[in-house]
Amino acid sequence: MNKRSFCLLAGIAVSLAILTAGCSREKCNSIQIKGSDTMVNLTQAWTEAFTKENPGINISVTGGGSGTGIASFISGNCDIISASRQMTVEEIELAKKNGIEEKEYIAALDGIVVVVNPKNPVSKLTVDQLSDIFMGKIKNWKEVGGNNSSIVILSREINSGTHVFFKEHVLRKGNPKGTEEFSPNALLLPSSQAIADEVAQNSGTIGYYGMGYISPNQKLVAVSKGPKMPFIEPSIDTVKKGSYPISRPLYLYTKKDAPEMVTKFIDFAFSQEGQEIVRKTDFVPVK
Amino acid sequence: MFNTKISQKIAFAVLFVSTLITIIPVLIIIAIIIKNGITAISWQFLTTAPSNGMRSGGIFPAIVGTFYLALGASAISLPLGILGGIYLSEYSKNNYFTRILKLGIVNLAGVPSIVYGLFGLSLFVISLKLGVSIVSGCLTLAIMSLPSIITATETAMSSVPRSFREVSLSLGATKWQTIRYAVLPHASPGIITGTLLSNARITGETAPILFTVAAFYLPQLPNSVFDQVMALPYHLYVISTQIPGISKSVTYGTALVLIVFTLSLNLFGIIVRTYLRRQKKW
Repeated sequence: MNKRSFCLLAGIAVSLAILTAGCSREKCNSIQIKGSDTMVNLTQAWTEAFTKENPGINISVTGGGSGTGIASFISGNCDIISASRQMTVEEIELAKKNGIEEKEYIAALDGIVVVVNPKNPVSKLTVDQLSDIFMGKIKNWKEVGGNNSSIVILSREINSGTHVFFKEHVLRKGNPKGTEEFSPNALLLPSSQAIADEVAQNSGTIGYYGMGYISPNQKLVAVSKGPKMPFIEPSIDTVKKGSYPISRPLYLYTKKDAPEMVTKFIDFAFSQEGQEIVRKTDFVPVK
Repeated sequence: MFNTKISQKIAFAVLFVSTLITIIPVLIIIAIIIKNGITAISWQFLTTAPSNGMRSGGIFPAIVGTFYLALGASAISLPLGILGGIYLSEYSKNNYFTRILKLGIVNLAGVPSIVYGLFGLSLFVISLKLGVSIVSGCLTLAIMSLPSIITATETAMSSVPRSFREVSLSLGATKWQTIRYAVLPHASPGIITGTLLSNARITGETAPILFTVAAFYLPQLPNSVFDQVMALPYHLYVISTQIPGISKSVTYGTALVLIVFTLSLNLFGIIVRTYLRRQKKW
């Protein structure tokens, strides 16, 4: 009878566990944060610091993409969305149908700077020129008003969110159906720091990274949206105003009637410590 | 005479080389993972939560999560699968219904794991409102492992010689007594090996838990079965794709722990089978 009684016991144990553990998420002190892969390291860092201060609150962070987070929020399966885009009107309507009203926060900004060696005379480029340079169509600095020397393209690896963002917003100019790719001659470096070091040492290089890595050893390139538009220097100010072209806000969404611990987490994200974490993970603080 | 000897030698050589080629990749994979990962393994790595943006610290929550998932999925799939397998092998009549049932099980075994993941998401997470939770993950994994458990049970049961059943029935035992005392004890090594192997397989699965339970980061252990957990395969996936600047030894260390976890389940199955086989009297 051994095996059968074991099976019975196991079955009973499982059903008991399901029945008795029937506490709702709020009661269990757990928060589910879901969404953007770009922001997943930021939300992870927030969570790590937040749970150190509030050890009783159980926070799970899941990536998968902004869309994944929003879909899960609409079906009532997560408490906070991290999103690198705004919720669309349709998505807000869908959530309302399920009795969920959203509250939007802009918790950080994502600004990406283009850098060249300080000795390089080039100091401003249009998005079109950037696109052509990184796709390998413009091969020499003299084509964009620089010295007669060939351009060395530095890029992040494919798994980097910065790589994807740069490809979508500069190479493809925001066209979601674009098929433009980085030049096969681009050197793929494993970290933003590696790009910064390489740009500081080699005069022909051009690279890009999050604003957290700005230093005097590289020259920032002012960027304009089009041929007759003004060239804008990247800075926390111009990214905040939205005038610098290669930037976007990063959102957090909660329910309007969110429980206290959720608002506590949001408050933490906007606190001095939370915004310092934003800076450390290479995004632009909003405060 | 000479020709047949030569062709025999050639045949043996080809067979031997083929065997060798199938084994070499496995050995290379294991060797590389051990070589790169062994330095990361420490007591701290196995017993603490990840820290510093998952670049340091340990993988304790992921180990515990995988353990819970394997345990929960087995608790659901073992009774169902074994009882279903016994029914199919001993009780079912060879009719239209049974054939459709068997065809269904065979097809279920061929369904890609990501489809199980999406199925679990739509049925357990959304329709049954279980949320992204341990329950949803265990149920999804359980359904995924059912076909192989049923098939293993059925095969093990039908490999017990017919004469055992005939003798038992001729002595006046009922059908259930026959199954219980004359067939099951002899089929159990096969059943146990089959179920443990299928368990080992589901502990390494990523796709079914992707939408149903796995968390990118969750430093605490779950409070209830409605919480999310971290799991080793998913953790391995995210640290190798999402975390810039993570040291190689951490990813290989995680892979090593996952492989040891899976292989030890396999090994346990083999030991139990050998032990039970030794007790066989035929």
